Amino acid sequence: MSLLSNSKSENSDSSIVSKQPSNADLIVTEEMLLKKDKITPDDVLKLPKITENYLCSPDANVYNIDFIKFKIRDLDSGMVLFEIAKPTSISESEDVNLEVEEIDPNSGRFVRYQFTPQFLKLKTVGATVEFTIGSKPINKFRMIERHFFRDKLLKSFDFEFGFCIPNSKNTCEHIYEFPNLPPELIDEMVKNPFETRSDSFYFIDETLMMHNKADYAYDGGLK
Amino acid sequence: MGFLTILKKMRQKEKEMRILMLGLDNAGKTTLLRRFNGEEIDTVAPTLGFNIKTLDYKGFKLNMWDVGGQKSLRSYWRNYFESTDGLIWVVDSADKRRLADCKKELFSLLQEERLAGATLLVFTNKQDLPGALSAEEIRDLLELPKIKTHHWQIFNCSAVTGDNLLPGMDWLVTDISARIFTLD
Repeated sequence: MSLLSNSKSENSDSSIVSKQPSNADLIVTEEMLLKKDKITPDDVLKLPKITENYLCSPDANVYNIDFIKFKIRDLDSGMVLFEIAKPTSISESEDVNLEVEEIDPNSGRFVRYQFTPQFLKLKTVGATVEFTIGSKPINKFRMIERHFFRDKLLKSFDFEFGFCIPNSKNTCEHIYEFPNLPPELIDEMVKNPFETRSDSFYFIDETLMMHNKADYAYDGGLK
Repeated sequence: MGFLTILKKMRQKEKEMRILMLGLDNAGKTTLLRRFNGEEIDTVAPTLGFNIKTLDYKGFKLNMWDVGGQKSLRSYWRNYFESTDGLIWVVDSADKRRLADCKKELFSLLQEERLAGATLLVFTNKQDLPGALSAEEIRDLLELPKIKTHHWQIFNCSAVTGDNLLPGMDWLVTDISARIFTLD
């Protein structure tokens, strides 16, 4: 697997794997997971930080799931803060967000968000994803998304979509209270663009099929 | 303690409710869902799959599922029955021609074992349209009083104006919470 060649410490960690392979409470490392044939939801929930690599290849997406739209809105003002759709180009609105760029070689798996500091002061936010499904029905589709600032877990979503109709187009919006972050942390997040990052893991029948990443800056308009 | 009991307990702790919205195509399910959640309704297109919204409402975590109502999609509805606490049946009150079809689909859902424990809310939508039948008329045409297996209630509403959505949702959430969160 090509991803393994990027990771430096994979060999030195093998002893840990063999010593305690089945302890359910053990924190796992990315290197351990990259050695597995099959990565499960329990595996990624134990990761203590953002991953450096993608934990599956783009080819693992055999059900042809395609994310075609991301949208973030502020429920209090009703304003759409961010919207990006495929294949039509980026549409933006208002002044909270500034730019989105896709970076190769994993374009399509990575999104960069740039917001102004006001974003971190929002109260209620709705995050929508829109996706299409290939010609095969999916029985059990589950998403786990984890947001970190450096090694601190800010927020974790775990949602089971369950069944997906073949050739369907679906949307899912999570409306949530924005986490109440201490001012010092907000300050650090604003000062350190792109150190806030997220992993989105998608599982079918408990097996990792897709892994998307994003990073975030909140210093828009400050420089 | 059985597995289902444990699951129920876990849901109880999180105060989570799963609400399934069904109805014929063009009943207004997606518009209703979006209006209820304060989203614009100008770009609603026929649903060729599902729309999910998760939200906090009155201290509960609602997972609302709107599944497309086109004839070709109705055979997939059964894939979404599991663990449903509330069923919202949305009716286009101005579509008199298809009320028989509407009744047939509703009563076949009520036979479903996996929906046996669900509270039924019927929304007679599109009350803003001239010629819309009232909740009372639709109640009688659909013969809702025959339903003895489920808690049910019918509410007039308009997804476009937002009229009466909240009283309907409040009734549904209150009925569900009385059934599943205070039993023991």
